[in-house]
Amino acid sequence: MNTSLREKTEPDGVNDKLLVETAVEAGEIMLVSGAEIYRVEDTVGRILSLAPGRKSENVALGTSLIVTLDRPGDESLTIMRRIRNRSTNLNRVCQVNEVSRRLCAGEMSFKEAQKSLREIKQGIQYHSRTRAVGYIGVSAFFALLLGGTWREGLGAGLSGVLLAAVCLLTAKARLNDFCINALGAFAVGVTALAIETWVMPSMNGNAVITGAIMPLVPGVTFTTSIRDILNGDYASGTNRMMEALVVALSVAVGIGTAMSMFSNLTGG
Amino acid sequence: MGIQIMVQTISAFLAVVCFGLLLEMPKRYLLDAGVVGGAAWLVYLLTAQWTGSNIMAAFASTLVVACISHVFARLFKAPVTVFLVAGILPAVPGASIYRCVFYVIRSGSSLATFYFVETLQIAGAIAIAIFIMDSIFRLIQDNEKRWKKSRPDGNSGTPG
Repeated sequence: MNTSLREKTEPDGVNDKLLVETAVEAGEIMLVSGAEIYRVEDTVGRILSLAPGRKSENVALGTSLIVTLDRPGDESLTIMRRIRNRSTNLNRVCQVNEVSRRLCAGEMSFKEAQKSLREIKQGIQYHSRTRAVGYIGVSAFFALLLGGTWREGLGAGLSGVLLAAVCLLTAKARLNDFCINALGAFAVGVTALAIETWVMPSMNGNAVITGAIMPLVPGVTFTTSIRDILNGDYASGTNRMMEALVVALSVAVGIGTAMSMFSNLTGG
Repeated sequence: MGIQIMVQTISAFLAVVCFGLLLEMPKRYLLDAGVVGGAAWLVYLLTAQWTGSNIMAAFASTLVVACISHVFARLFKAPVTVFLVAGILPAVPGASIYRCVFYVIRSGSSLATFYFVETLQIAGAIAIAIFIMDSIFRLIQDNEKRWKKSRPDGNSGTPG
């Protein structure tokens, strides 16, 4: 076969397939981890440019990644990936950046790069107990940051405890994201309103809710979508904007349900 | 007022560190990111007090955040995104998007429109501030390269 002969004669075991696979793998991890589109395309393009004298093209959309390498005198090589379940993971963005830098500087072979990309995909940095602390801290400190007093901070912290419990348990049960967010927001709403109604009437329930839902609301996603649009990546920009609106919808559904429940209970 | 600004700035530092746990921020950058977040909120509060506009405040604070992020990224050899995302966290319009959708559900259409416009304005201000800083740093980087190229031996070039 022409292809296999050609692949075997490449220096140090780099063949086109390995190269394109490595590039796609790196791009997929970055997209799943919430990196900006131009950064993904830049990284994938850098890895692809290691194939000298060939034309390559890569398109990253919010929900898919297409990479193709034209090979003169041979069929072109194309790999496409569908991207599901995106969530921000800065550690992975960092690690993939490091791998691609070392790969391009020649400090790493493609085999090694593929191995470390596989490890990056598996690695988890913080355990669920640490993440729980994260949820509680974000809720409490955002309530303070937005101008709340110690009462709102305390209320939001307590709501954060429930939020952490719901989010971590439902994530273990592999529920979909919309339901996780809605249930989490519902837990926040019920806790905040219960504290306001029965325990501490001087606390501002709305301020507590606004602080405590901060781990859920898609502020960064929305801002990234505007940045993508400013960069000319219109398709992925609108994509991300829709994603942000759906996440906001799930949170609003949760809070709205809790509120109407309480207005019925207290005879509002 | 001074005490309140201090409390809020420290809260911003802690909030960003905690958010870092949820965003899988690399451990070695957690505190640095917290510093960026604290600085961001300090600038935000001061600008908001001075101009009375939260869009202006988001813009100014993101300019500072983007500048620090680029410097940190060079110092620590990490992608800019790590510090940038952390820094914009306090100013980002998460609550506005939520309120917008909330009032859509509750059929309060004028409030929904108000919050949607506010979301677009704040997110736009942040995005443009990042864009400006990115362009400035790219200019500096390009000129640095050109400057180095024009004087390979380190002596010639720049007369006098």
